[in-house]
Amino acid sequence: MSIDLLVQALLNGFGLAMVYVLVALGLTLIFSILEIINFAHGEFYMLGGYVTYYAYALFGLNYFATLGLAILTVGLAGVVAERLIFHDLRGKALNAFIVSLGLLWVMQAGAQLAFGVLDKPVPSAFSGIVRVLGLVISVERLVVTLSAIVLIVALYLFLRLSRPGRAMRAVAQDADAAALQGVNIEAVAALGFGVGCALAGGAGGLLAPVFAVSPAMGALPVVKAFIIIIVGGMGSLPGAVLGGLLLGGVEGLGALFMGSAAVNILGFLMVIAVLLVRPRGLVGGA
Amino acid sequence: MELSRSAGVPSAGVALIALAAAALPLVTRDSYYLDVATTILMNLTLTMSFRLQVSTGQINMAHISFMGIGAYASALLVTRVGLSFWATLWIGPLVAAALAVPIGSVALRVSGPYYFLITFAFSEVVRLFFNNFFEGLFGGPSGLVGIPKPDRLLGLAFDGKLELYGLMAVLCVGVALALVRLDHSRFGLTAGAIRQADLLAETLGVNVFRYKLTTFVLGSFIAGLAGVFFAHFRRVLHSSDFGLEPMVLLVVFTVIGGTGSVWGPVVGTILMTIASELLRELHHYEILVFGAVLILTMLFAPEGLVALPGTARRLLRRLRGRAPAAAGVGLAP
Amino acid sequence: MLLELRGVSRRFGGLLAVADLSMTVAGGAIHGLIGPNGAGKSTVFNLITGVIPLTAGEVFFKGERTSGLRPSEICRRGIARTFQATTLFREYTVLQNVLVAAHLVTTPGLASALFWSRPYRERERRARDRGRTLLEALGLGPVASQVADTLPHRDQKALALTMVLATGAELVILDEPMAGLAAQEKAETTSVLRRLREQGVTVLLVEHDMKAVMGVCDTVTVLDHGVRIAEGTPREIQTNPAVIEAYLGADEPGA
Repeated sequence: MSIDLLVQALLNGFGLAMVYVLVALGLTLIFSILEIINFAHGEFYMLGGYVTYYAYALFGLNYFATLGLAILTVGLAGVVAERLIFHDLRGKALNAFIVSLGLLWVMQAGAQLAFGVLDKPVPSAFSGIVRVLGLVISVERLVVTLSAIVLIVALYLFLRLSRPGRAMRAVAQDADAAALQGVNIEAVAALGFGVGCALAGGAGGLLAPVFAVSPAMGALPVVKAFIIIIVGGMGSLPGAVLGGLLLGGVEGLGALFMGSAAVNILGFLMVIAVLLVRPRGLVGGA
Repeated sequence: MELSRSAGVPSAGVALIALAAAALPLVTRDSYYLDVATTILMNLTLTMSFRLQVSTGQINMAHISFMGIGAYASALLVTRVGLSFWATLWIGPLVAAALAVPIGSVALRVSGPYYFLITFAFSEVVRLFFNNFFEGLFGGPSGLVGIPKPDRLLGLAFDGKLELYGLMAVLCVGVALALVRLDHSRFGLTAGAIRQADLLAETLGVNVFRYKLTTFVLGSFIAGLAGVFFAHFRRVLHSSDFGLEPMVLLVVFTVIGGTGSVWGPVVGTILMTIASELLRELHHYEILVFGAVLILTMLFAPEGLVALPGTARRLLRRLRGRAPAAAGVGLAP
Repeated sequence: MLLELRGVSRRFGGLLAVADLSMTVAGGAIHGLIGPNGAGKSTVFNLITGVIPLTAGEVFFKGERTSGLRPSEICRRGIARTFQATTLFREYTVLQNVLVAAHLVTTPGLASALFWSRPYRERERRARDRGRTLLEALGLGPVASQVADTLPHRDQKALALTMVLATGAELVILDEPMAGLAAQEKAETTSVLRRLREQGVTVLLVEHDMKAVMGVCDTVTVLDHGVRIAEGTPREIQTNPAVIEAYLGADEPGA
């Protein structure tokens, strides 16, 4: 097998993985601030997909403006969900998890009723391919991957430099200490949940033209995101990026040798293997 | 989970289930009602065994997979090997329990959120395996078909709804009896102690890992039993029968009734299976309603319907400002 | 020696909470472990009972290595403990708490519970009787069927102690058994500790109340910043210059 083929396979894997990292970062951000595993996270991704369908495919809004709109809308939806539902469940992992299962159903069934069960195709914003050093890359995938990376960097800068971002990190580290220093925990929790969901919404917007939009579209990325955050270590942002690269690499290479179902199993086997060796994930604490 | 004060077996509730189950055919032999009743009993077996694990603080998202393992094992042993249903009725659960030992040992190395994610990962591996591998054996996406009904036993033919209903009733009552006894025994007491304060239990000499693994394996055995029945009752198996949706349904059934005792899942399962039948024509609304009920239950009555009187009383007392905040939340540590 | 720590260390990130600590606890004694806040006393307890792993060193109990074992196995070998923030099974009654703690003495078998056999019921009855006897001895008889969460602080402390005794441990480790108790209650606890010593149970305790420690302990070990700075009889400790300096440098010792 040629090196080119291997590199091409890795590149294919990494491309989509960056979008899944976006979903995973939202999940892990919410977990680190509220100690909640939001199983309905994929449904916020789905919302982002529908915003894109209506704004971009139906009303012809600019692709990047649509992406911004998806991020904003879904972020708002996240804030509402936190205020209405998850607000009292901070730190009650089991109850919150069960509630998120309920939310998953409500949002999925709601989408089926509101948007219909059929797949909605979203046309590609970019066409054509570029050839770099003998590798073939579709322009659409390239834009999607680069946009995901831009959003990841934006999140990093937001958490490092902005006031609310720093407050989130403080709460994630030690909520009590942060509260003593005058951080408004309630506001940070709502904002954190909103930002986490916004990331999922952005990912949904990015992948809407790649896959079709449907009420159940959130299942796949959320499963990938779970794999990524367990492998990387829950609550760790660099861990999520590392987990995403690993998953992308494994799936990209796996696709050379086996069918897509077998590739899906690879990710789960990786989770089990990592938890056996390092129960807190690769970048998790002791 | 009160340790019974009397030395007798706390079986009055089980006797009630048995009586109700026995009385149904006297009221109606309509095949639709028998079907619904059989489904209730099958779901009951699943939810009670799921609660056994919840009682030590585990939300095992792979529980439904062990039902699947029992179902596929029995279906294949009957159709391919030619074993009798009455043999696979025991072999199926044993296969599920045997696989539960290594899977549980791995999953129970982690706790809290990691536990439900790793068990979810396991359940996806099992589902994808049934769906995509050995298509000649498991039937792949189109399912495993042609599973026969149970064969004759002691001159009794199991080709009618009534006989199948009777069989499920016997299995369910047996499981209920075992689980109620367990719940009221020292084993159940220790399990509840682990849920309340696992570190304290461990330092008092309770091997928490072994207790959790025991409930995991026993729960998987019972799930496998329900699976064997499911295979020969429905007579066709799809990997999606054991996917996330039925698993969430299982959580809904169990949690809505409450996990404080065996009776929570009983009440929850009966109510929700009937609700599910009533909403059958409106599938989207069904899961919308179930999802909403799940959220509302966890937010406002986290100890479940069975504990509602107590919850309401505590709420009232708190409103009047006489008592400190409510003692405990159903599930959360 | 009943308990022996050899070169025990524990690091949390960059902080060395316990540094190369060696100490012994003699059988049949009441042994105090004192030191200013943050000296590493509770960490030492967690290390002995296996709640957290050691960074370096070994722990021996009755000549056998116990470091590296599960907490439940360490308890089975004969070491039981209380926690600083009194921990109980809050939803259970007082008697149920004790029954869980008696787990090791009367192991509940899975199979026998399923079959509800006569020997099983007989064993259960004996376990309950034993639990009641213990509760009577510590003055909790009247509240045996009360839910633990509703007990007053004093009774919760007493229950935690009863549970530790119910395990049948030879060495009981008590993290601040007097904290939050009134003078009269402290005196009662002191007499319970003395009674334990008479029965051959060894006690290792952390306590901030210096008067109580000096009054009841046979031997006292002083920790400061994870290091052992002194050990001896209460009289020797009270006049030890290193100890006085450690305490003057930090906060006042408790009343």
